[in-house]
Amino acid sequence: MENDTVEILLIEDNMNDAELAIRALRKGKINNNLIHLKNGAEALVFLLGTGKFEGRDISKKPKVKLLDLKMPKVDGLEVLMRIKANELTKAIPVVALTSSNEHPDIERAYSLGANSYIVKPVESMNLRKSLQTLVLLATEESTSCLNKETKMLAN
Amino acid sequence: MGKKEKSDKLEIANRELAFQNEEKEKRAAELFIANKELSFQNDEKKKRAVELTASNKEVDELEKRVKERTEDLEAFSYSVSDDLRTTLRAINGFEKMLEEDYTTVLDAEGKRLLGEVTSNAKKMGVLIDDLLTFSRLGRKGITKSSIDINKMLETVLSEINQSTIHTAEIKFSNLLPAVADYNLLQHVITNFLSNAIKYSSKKEKPLTEIKSKRKNGELIYSVSDNGSGFDIQYVNKLFGVFQRLHSDEEFSGTGVGLEIVQRIIHKHDGKVWGRRERRARRNLLFQLTR
Repeated sequence: MENDTVEILLIEDNMNDAELAIRALRKGKINNNLIHLKNGAEALVFLLGTGKFEGRDISKKPKVKLLDLKMPKVDGLEVLMRIKANELTKAIPVVALTSSNEHPDIERAYSLGANSYIVKPVESMNLRKSLQTLVLLATEESTSCLNKETKMLAN
Repeated sequence: MGKKEKSDKLEIANRELAFQNEEKEKRAAELFIANKELSFQNDEKKKRAVELTASNKEVDELEKRVKERTEDLEAFSYSVSDDLRTTLRAINGFEKMLEEDYTTVLDAEGKRLLGEVTSNAKKMGVLIDDLLTFSRLGRKGITKSSIDINKMLETVLSEINQSTIHTAEIKFSNLLPAVADYNLLQHVITNFLSNAIKYSSKKEKPLTEIKSKRKNGELIYSVSDNGSGFDIQYVNKLFGVFQRLHSDEEFSGTGVGLEIVQRIIHKHDGKVWGRRERRARRNLLFQLTR
Protein backbone atom coordinates (compact mmCIF):
# COMPACT_ATOMS: atom_id res chain seq x y z
CA MET A 1 0.00 0.00 0.00
CA GLU A 2 1.34 3.41 -0.92
CA ASN A 3 2.22 5.64 1.94
CA ASP A 4 0.54 8.75 0.67
CA THR A 5 -2.83 7.08 0.18
CA VAL A 6 -5.27 8.52 2.62
CA GLU A 7 -7.47 5.74 3.82
CA ILE A 8 -9.51 7.46 6.46
CA LEU A 9 -10.41 11.10 6.34
CA LEU A 10 -11.65 12.44 9.65
CA ILE A 11 -13.46 15.76 9.44
CA GLU A 12 -14.03 16.95 12.98
CA ASP A 13 -13.87 20.43 14.48
CA ASN A 14 -13.88 19.36 18.12
CA MET A 15 -10.30 18.60 19.15
CA ASN A 16 -11.34 16.39 22.04
CA ASP A 17 -13.59 14.28 19.84
CA ALA A 18 -10.85 14.06 17.24
CA GLU A 19 -8.23 12.98 19.79
CA LEU A 20 -10.58 10.34 21.19
CA ALA A 21 -11.41 9.03 17.72
CA ILE A 22 -7.78 8.89 16.54
CA ARG A 23 -6.68 7.15 19.70
CA ALA A 24 -9.53 4.65 19.59
CA LEU A 25 -8.77 3.82 15.98
CA ARG A 26 -5.07 3.44 16.69
CA LYS A 27 -5.87 1.09 19.55
CA GLY A 28 -8.19 -0.86 17.30
CA LYS A 29 -5.47 -0.87 14.63
CA ILE A 30 -7.66 0.73 11.98
CA ASN A 31 -6.01 4.09 11.57
CA ASN A 32 -4.28 3.35 8.29
CA ASN A 33 -3.07 6.71 7.01
CA LEU A 34 -5.61 8.77 8.80
CA ILE A 35 -5.86 12.44 7.99
CA HIS A 36 -7.65 14.80 10.31
CA LEU A 37 -9.16 17.97 8.89
CA LYS A 38 -10.56 20.50 11.28
CA ASN A 39 -13.50 21.94 9.41
CA GLY A 40 -15.81 21.63 6.45
CA ALA A 41 -14.05 24.21 4.30
CA GLU A 42 -10.72 22.44 4.77
CA ALA A 43 -12.32 19.13 3.81
CA LEU A 44 -13.65 20.57 0.58
CA VAL A 45 -10.35 22.09 -0.54
CA PHE A 46 -8.55 18.86 0.38
CA LEU A 47 -10.91 16.66 -1.61
CA LEU A 48 -10.99 18.97 -4.60
CA GLY A 49 -7.27 19.68 -4.49
CA THR A 50 -7.65 23.44 -4.35
CA GLY A 51 -6.41 26.20 -2.03
CA LYS A 52 -3.64 25.04 0.28
CA PHE A 53 -4.01 21.53 -1.15
CA GLU A 54 -3.38 22.79 -4.71
CA GLY A 55 -1.49 20.13 -6.61
CA ARG A 56 -2.51 17.23 -4.40
CA ASP A 57 -3.19 14.11 -6.46
CA ILE A 58 -6.96 14.03 -6.06
CA SER A 59 -7.22 10.64 -7.74
CA LYS A 60 -5.96 9.34 -4.41
CA LYS A 61 -9.25 9.30 -2.68
CA PRO A 62 -9.86 8.34 0.92
CA LYS A 63 -11.59 5.01 1.31
CA VAL A 64 -13.93 6.34 3.87
CA LYS A 65 -14.83 9.71 5.30
CA LEU A 66 -15.83 10.22 8.89
CA LEU A 67 -17.76 13.45 8.83
CA ASP A 68 -18.91 15.38 11.88
CA LEU A 69 -22.30 16.90 11.15
CA LYS A 70 -22.11 19.81 13.54
CA MET A 71 -19.34 22.17 12.60
CA PRO A 72 -19.19 25.95 12.46
CA LYS A 73 -19.30 27.76 9.09
CA VAL A 74 -19.35 24.92 6.55
CA ASP A 75 -21.17 22.20 8.47
CA GLY A 76 -21.22 18.47 7.77
CA LEU A 77 -24.46 18.56 5.83
CA GLU A 78 -23.07 21.14 3.45
CA VAL A 79 -19.86 19.18 2.96
CA LEU A 80 -21.97 16.12 2.26
CA MET A 81 -24.08 17.98 -0.26
CA ARG A 82 -21.04 19.33 -2.06
CA ILE A 83 -19.08 16.06 -2.25
CA LYS A 84 -22.09 14.02 -3.30
CA ALA A 85 -22.74 16.53 -6.11
CA ASN A 86 -19.17 16.25 -7.40
CA GLU A 87 -18.32 13.44 -9.82
CA LEU A 88 -14.80 13.16 -8.42
CA THR A 89 -15.83 12.63 -4.84
CA LYS A 90 -19.36 11.27 -4.82
CA ALA A 91 -18.37 7.59 -4.66
CA ILE A 92 -16.43 7.93 -1.39
CA PRO A 93 -18.44 6.33 1.42
CA VAL A 94 -19.38 8.76 4.16
CA VAL A 95 -19.94 7.87 7.79
CA ALA A 96 -21.73 10.73 9.55
CA LEU A 97 -20.66 11.48 13.11
CA THR A 98 -23.37 12.71 15.46
CA SER A 99 -23.80 13.24 19.16
CA SER A 100 -27.17 11.55 19.54
CA ASN A 101 -29.02 8.58 18.16
CA GLU A 102 -32.10 10.65 17.61
CA HIS A 103 -30.60 13.71 16.10
CA PRO A 104 -32.78 15.13 13.30
CA ASP A 105 -29.60 15.69 11.30
CA ILE A 106 -29.12 11.93 10.85
CA GLU A 107 -32.18 11.74 8.63
CA ARG A 108 -31.03 14.73 6.61
CA ALA A 109 -27.56 13.25 6.29
CA TYR A 110 -29.01 10.03 4.86
CA SER A 111 -31.17 11.95 2.43
CA LEU A 112 -28.05 13.77 1.26
CA GLY A 113 -26.24 10.51 0.60
CA ALA A 114 -24.50 9.53 3.85
CA ASN A 115 -23.91 5.77 3.93
CA SER A 116 -23.86 5.15 7.65
CA TYR A 117 -23.59 7.01 10.93
CA ILE A 118 -21.84 6.72 14.26
CA VAL A 119 -22.96 8.18 17.57
CA LYS A 120 -19.81 9.70 19.02
CA PRO A 121 -17.40 8.87 20.51
CA VAL A 122 -15.87 7.05 17.57
CA GLU A 123 -14.51 3.75 18.81
CA SER A 124 -12.96 0.88 16.95
CA MET A 125 -16.08 -1.21 17.63
CA ASN A 126 -18.66 1.17 16.21
CA LEU A 127 -16.42 2.13 13.32
CA ARG A 128 -15.93 -1.53 12.39
CA LYS A 129 -19.68 -2.02 12.50
CA SER A 130 -20.24 0.99 10.32
CA LEU A 131 -17.64 -0.14 7.80
CA GLN A 132 -19.24 -3.56 7.68
CA THR A 133 -22.56 -1.87 6.86
CA LEU A 134 -20.82 -0.06 4.03
CA VAL A 135 -19.41 -3.34 2.71
CA LEU A 136 -22.87 -4.91 2.85
CA LEU A 137 -24.38 -1.95 1.04
CA ALA A 138 -21.68 -2.05 -1.61
CA THR A 139 -22.21 -5.79 -2.10
CA GLU A 140 -25.94 -5.35 -2.42
CA GLU A 141 -25.60 -2.60 -4.95
CA SER A 142 -22.57 -4.30 -6.51
CA THR A 143 -21.63 -0.93 -7.87
CA SER A 144 -18.48 -0.05 -6.13
CA CYS A 145 -14.88 -0.89 -6.63
CA LEU A 146 -14.51 0.38 -3.09
CA ASN A 147 -16.04 -2.82 -1.93
CA LYS A 148 -12.79 -4.70 -1.57
CA GLU A 149 -10.92 -1.80 -0.06
CA THR A 150 -13.57 -0.94 2.48
CA LYS A 151 -13.74 -4.59 3.37
CA MET A 152 -10.04 -4.56 4.09
CA LEU A 153 -10.53 -1.68 6.46
CA ALA A 154 -13.49 -3.34 8.07
CA ASN A 155 -11.57 -6.43 8.91
CA MET B 1 -132.53 60.75 21.66
CA GLY B 2 -132.75 64.27 23.15
CA LYS B 3 -130.22 67.00 22.62
CA LYS B 4 -128.98 66.77 26.19
CA GLU B 5 -128.52 63.07 25.92
CA LYS B 6 -126.55 63.45 22.67
CA SER B 7 -124.23 66.07 24.08
CA ASP B 8 -123.61 63.92 27.15
CA LYS B 9 -122.62 60.99 25.00
CA LEU B 10 -120.36 63.21 22.93
CA GLU B 11 -118.81 64.51 26.09
CA ILE B 12 -118.09 60.97 27.24
CA ALA B 13 -116.73 60.01 23.86
CA ASN B 14 -114.54 63.10 23.84
CA ARG B 15 -113.21 62.33 27.29
CA GLU B 16 -112.56 58.76 26.25
CA LEU B 17 -110.70 60.02 23.19
CA ALA B 18 -108.70 62.44 25.26
CA PHE B 19 -107.82 59.64 27.65
CA GLN B 20 -106.82 57.37 24.83
CA ASN B 21 -104.76 60.17 23.32
CA GLU B 22 -103.06 60.67 26.62
CA GLU B 23 -102.38 56.91 26.81
CA LYS B 24 -101.00 56.96 23.29
CA GLU B 25 -98.70 59.83 24.14
CA LYS B 26 -97.57 57.97 27.24
CA ARG B 27 -96.91 54.87 25.14
CA ALA B 28 -95.10 56.95 22.57
CA ALA B 29 -92.96 58.41 25.31
CA GLU B 30 -92.29 54.94 26.69
CA LEU B 31 -91.52 53.70 23.23
CA PHE B 32 -89.18 56.60 22.72
CA ILE B 33 -87.37 55.74 25.92
CA ALA B 34 -87.29 52.06 24.99
CA ASN B 35 -85.95 52.96 21.58
CA LYS B 36 -83.27 55.09 23.13
CA GLU B 37 -82.40 52.25 25.47
CA LEU B 38 -82.26 49.87 22.53
CA SER B 39 -80.04 52.11 20.49
CA PHE B 40 -77.81 52.57 23.53
CA GLN B 41 -77.63 48.83 23.95
CA ASN B 42 -76.88 48.49 20.27
CA ASP B 43 -74.06 50.95 20.58
CA GLU B 44 -72.77 49.06 23.59
CA LYS B 45 -72.96 45.83 21.63
CA LYS B 46 -71.02 47.36 18.79
CA LYS B 47 -68.44 48.64 21.25
CA ARG B 48 -68.21 45.19 22.83
CA ALA B 49 -67.84 43.60 19.41
CA VAL B 50 -64.99 45.96 18.62
CA GLU B 51 -63.44 45.22 22.00
CA LEU B 52 -63.91 41.50 21.46
CA THR B 53 -62.25 41.62 18.07
CA ALA B 54 -59.39 43.54 19.61
CA SER B 55 -58.98 41.11 22.49
CA ASN B 56 -59.32 38.16 20.10
CA LYS B 57 -56.52 39.64 18.09
CA GLU B 58 -54.57 40.03 21.29
CA VAL B 59 -55.18 36.37 22.17
CA ASP B 60 -54.08 35.31 18.70
CA GLU B 61 -51.01 37.46 19.06
CA LEU B 62 -50.26 35.98 22.48
CA GLU B 63 -50.75 32.44 21.21
CA LYS B 64 -48.39 33.15 18.37
CA ARG B 65 -45.81 34.51 20.77
CA VAL B 66 -46.17 31.55 23.13
CA LYS B 67 -45.69 29.19 20.20
CA GLU B 68 -42.61 31.06 19.05
CA ARG B 69 -41.18 31.11 22.55
CA THR B 70 -41.85 27.36 22.97
CA GLU B 71 -40.13 26.62 19.69
CA ASP B 72 -37.20 28.81 20.70
CA LEU B 73 -36.97 27.08 24.02
CA GLU B 74 -37.06 23.63 22.46
CA ALA B 75 -34.40 24.54 19.93
CA PHE B 76 -32.38 26.03 22.76
CA SER B 77 -32.63 22.98 25.01
CA TYR B 78 -31.74 20.81 22.03
CA SER B 79 -28.61 22.75 21.29
CA VAL B 80 -27.69 23.04 24.97
CA SER B 81 -28.02 19.31 25.51
CA ASP B 82 -25.97 18.76 22.38
CA ASP B 83 -23.18 20.93 23.77
CA LEU B 84 -23.46 19.26 27.18
CA ARG B 85 -23.17 15.88 25.55
CA THR B 86 -20.06 16.96 23.67
CA THR B 87 -18.39 18.11 26.86
CA LEU B 88 -19.45 15.01 28.71
CA ARG B 89 -18.10 12.82 25.92
CA ALA B 90 -14.70 14.44 26.42
CA ILE B 91 -14.84 13.82 30.20
CA ASN B 92 -15.76 10.18 29.65
CA GLY B 93 -13.19 9.72 26.91
CA PHE B 94 -10.28 11.16 28.83
CA GLU B 95 -11.31 9.32 31.95
CA LYS B 96 -11.20 6.11 29.97
CA MET B 97 -7.72 6.97 28.70
CA LEU B 98 -6.55 7.51 32.26
CA GLU B 99 -8.07 4.21 33.25
CA GLU B 100 -6.52 2.32 30.35
CA ASP B 101 -3.04 3.80 30.43
CA TYR B 102 -2.40 4.92 33.99
CA THR B 103 -4.11 2.34 36.09
CA THR B 104 -0.75 0.93 37.19
CA VAL B 105 0.35 4.37 38.40
CA LEU B 106 -2.79 5.03 40.45
CA ASP B 107 -3.15 3.67 43.97
CA ALA B 108 -6.45 2.44 45.41
CA GLU B 109 -7.61 5.91 46.43
CA GLY B 110 -6.70 7.30 43.01
CA LYS B 111 -8.76 4.60 41.36
CA ARG B 112 -11.68 5.29 43.68
CA LEU B 113 -11.61 8.97 42.80
CA LEU B 114 -11.52 8.11 39.13
CA GLY B 115 -14.52 5.85 39.68
CA GLU B 116 -16.38 8.79 41.23
CA VAL B 117 -15.69 10.86 38.14
CA THR B 118 -17.01 8.06 35.92
CA SER B 119 -20.19 7.45 37.87
CA ASN B 120 -21.00 11.15 38.05
CA ALA B 121 -20.39 11.59 34.36
CA LYS B 122 -22.68 8.65 33.71
CA LYS B 123 -25.37 10.21 35.83
CA MET B 124 -25.06 13.46 33.98
CA GLY B 125 -25.49 11.57 30.72
CA VAL B 126 -28.80 10.16 31.95
CA LEU B 127 -29.85 13.62 33.03
CA ILE B 128 -29.14 15.10 29.62
CA ASP B 129 -31.00 12.28 27.89
CA ASP B 130 -33.99 12.79 30.17
CA LEU B 131 -33.97 16.49 29.51
CA LEU B 132 -33.79 15.90 25.79
CA THR B 133 -36.72 13.47 25.94
CA PHE B 134 -38.61 16.10 27.87
CA SER B 135 -38.02 18.84 25.31
CA ARG B 136 -38.71 16.52 22.41
CA LEU B 137 -42.12 15.59 23.82
CA GLY B 138 -43.26 19.16 23.29
CA ARG B 139 -42.92 18.80 19.56
CA LYS B 140 -44.27 15.29 19.14
CA GLY B 141 -47.87 14.80 18.08
CA ILE B 142 -49.89 11.87 19.43
CA THR B 143 -51.43 8.98 17.50
CA LYS B 144 -54.09 7.21 19.52
CA SER B 145 -54.98 3.54 19.26
CA SER B 146 -56.66 0.98 21.49
CA ILE B 147 -54.08 -0.58 23.81
CA ASP B 148 -54.15 -3.79 25.81
CA ILE B 149 -52.53 -2.58 29.02
CA ASN B 150 -52.00 -6.15 30.26
CA LYS B 151 -49.84 -6.94 27.23
CA MET B 152 -48.05 -3.63 27.50
CA LEU B 153 -47.22 -4.33 31.15
CA GLU B 154 -45.78 -7.72 30.24
CA THR B 155 -43.60 -6.15 27.55
CA VAL B 156 -42.39 -3.41 29.89
CA LEU B 157 -41.79 -5.87 32.71
CA SER B 158 -39.68 -8.16 30.57
CA GLU B 159 -37.62 -5.14 29.50
CA ILE B 160 -37.15 -4.08 33.13
CA ASN B 161 -36.20 -7.63 34.08
CA GLN B 162 -33.46 -7.59 31.47
CA SER B 163 -31.81 -4.51 32.89
CA THR B 164 -32.65 -4.70 36.61
CA ILE B 165 -32.26 -7.42 39.15
CA HIS B 166 -35.18 -7.31 41.59
CA THR B 167 -37.38 -9.53 43.70
CA ALA B 168 -40.58 -7.53 43.36
CA GLU B 169 -43.89 -9.27 42.88
CA ILE B 170 -45.97 -7.48 40.24
CA LYS B 171 -49.72 -8.05 40.49
CA PHE B 172 -52.24 -7.17 37.79
CA SER B 173 -55.06 -8.86 35.92
CA ASN B 174 -57.81 -7.98 33.46
CA LEU B 175 -56.92 -4.32 33.21
CA LEU B 176 -59.20 -2.17 31.09
CA PRO B 177 -57.91 -1.27 27.63
CA ALA B 178 -56.86 2.33 27.04
CA VAL B 179 -57.02 4.59 24.02
CA ALA B 180 -53.71 6.42 23.84
CA ASP B 181 -50.46 6.87 21.94
CA TYR B 182 -48.70 3.52 22.25
CA ASN B 183 -45.10 4.71 22.59
CA LEU B 184 -45.92 7.53 24.95
CA LEU B 185 -48.10 5.37 27.19
CA GLN B 186 -45.38 2.75 27.26
CA HIS B 187 -43.06 5.45 28.53
CA VAL B 188 -45.53 6.24 31.34
CA ILE B 189 -45.96 2.57 32.27
CA THR B 190 -42.20 2.02 32.22
CA ASN B 191 -41.67 5.01 34.50
CA PHE B 192 -44.36 3.96 37.00
CA LEU B 193 -43.33 0.34 37.08
CA SER B 194 -39.60 0.90 37.36
CA ASN B 195 -40.13 3.54 40.03
CA ALA B 196 -42.42 1.22 42.00
CA ILE B 197 -39.79 -1.51 41.79
CA LYS B 198 -37.04 0.92 42.73
CA TYR B 199 -38.82 2.45 45.72
CA SER B 200 -39.98 -0.87 47.14
CA SER B 201 -36.63 -2.60 46.62
CA LYS B 202 -35.61 -2.21 50.26
CA LYS B 203 -38.68 -4.06 51.59
CA GLU B 204 -38.51 -7.69 52.47
CA LYS B 205 -41.37 -8.63 50.18
CA PRO B 206 -41.64 -5.88 47.61
CA LEU B 207 -45.03 -5.77 45.97
CA THR B 208 -46.42 -3.63 43.18
CA GLU B 209 -50.08 -3.68 42.21
CA ILE B 210 -51.63 -2.22 39.10
CA LYS B 211 -55.38 -1.69 38.98
CA SER B 212 -57.83 -0.02 36.66
CA LYS B 213 -61.37 1.25 36.96
CA ARG B 214 -63.96 3.24 35.11
CA LYS B 215 -65.30 6.33 36.81
CA ASN B 216 -67.73 8.81 35.23
CA GLY B 217 -66.69 7.67 31.78
CA GLU B 218 -63.00 8.18 32.57
CA LEU B 219 -60.40 5.45 32.90
CA ILE B 220 -58.23 5.48 35.96
CA TYR B 221 -55.08 3.39 36.31
CA SER B 222 -53.36 3.07 39.62
CA VAL B 223 -49.90 1.77 40.43
CA SER B 224 -49.14 1.22 44.10
CA ASP B 225 -46.20 -0.31 45.88
CA ASN B 226 -45.36 -1.15 49.45
CA GLY B 227 -42.13 0.83 49.28
CA SER B 228 -40.84 3.70 51.31
CA GLY B 229 -43.74 5.94 50.36
CA PHE B 230 -43.54 9.65 49.98
CA ASP B 231 -44.18 12.39 52.44
CA ILE B 232 -47.73 13.56 51.70
CA GLN B 233 -46.65 17.06 52.64
CA TYR B 234 -44.52 17.21 49.51
CA VAL B 235 -46.88 15.38 47.20
CA ASN B 236 -47.25 18.46 44.99
CA LYS B 237 -43.50 18.30 44.43
CA LEU B 238 -43.74 14.90 42.79
CA PHE B 239 -44.23 16.54 39.43
CA GLY B 240 -41.73 19.15 38.37
CA VAL B 241 -38.41 19.03 36.57
CA PHE B 242 -35.55 18.07 38.89
CA GLN B 243 -37.88 17.74 41.88
CA ARG B 244 -36.90 14.81 44.05
CA LEU B 245 -38.35 13.53 47.28
CA HIS B 246 -35.48 11.20 48.07
CA SER B 247 -31.81 11.87 48.47
CA ASP B 248 -29.42 10.26 46.05
CA GLU B 249 -28.09 7.99 48.74
CA GLU B 250 -31.58 6.55 49.29
CA PHE B 251 -32.59 6.15 45.67
CA SER B 252 -30.86 7.36 42.53
CA GLY B 253 -32.66 9.36 39.88
CA THR B 254 -32.68 12.63 38.02
CA GLY B 255 -36.11 13.96 38.90
CA VAL B 256 -37.18 14.46 35.32
CA GLY B 257 -39.10 11.19 34.92
CA LEU B 258 -42.44 12.11 36.46
CA GLU B 259 -42.44 15.49 34.78
CA ILE B 260 -42.18 13.66 31.46
CA VAL B 261 -45.05 11.40 32.56
CA GLN B 262 -47.15 14.40 33.44
CA ARG B 263 -46.47 16.00 30.10
CA ILE B 264 -47.51 12.84 28.27
CA ILE B 265 -50.73 12.47 30.24
CA HIS B 266 -51.59 16.15 29.74
CA LYS B 267 -51.11 15.67 26.03
CA HIS B 268 -53.85 13.05 26.29
CA ASP B 269 -56.10 15.54 28.15
CA GLY B 270 -55.80 13.32 31.20
CA LYS B 271 -54.41 13.93 34.65
CA VAL B 272 -51.89 12.31 36.94
CA TRP B 273 -51.56 12.49 40.69
CA GLY B 274 -50.03 10.79 43.66
CA ARG B 275 -51.42 9.82 47.05
CA ARG B 276 -50.43 7.94 50.11
CA GLU B 277 -52.42 4.86 50.91
CA ARG B 278 -52.93 3.08 54.18
CA ARG B 279 -49.75 1.74 55.72
CA ALA B 280 -47.79 4.44 53.89
CA ARG B 281 -48.01 2.76 50.53
CA ARG B 282 -47.02 4.79 47.54
CA ASN B 283 -49.78 5.16 45.01
CA LEU B 284 -49.55 6.93 41.66
CA LEU B 285 -52.57 7.29 39.45
CA PHE B 286 -53.34 8.54 36.01
CA GLN B 287 -56.60 9.17 34.26
CA LEU B 288 -57.33 9.05 30.58
CA THR B 289 -60.43 10.31 28.80
CA ARG B 290 -62.20 7.63 26.87
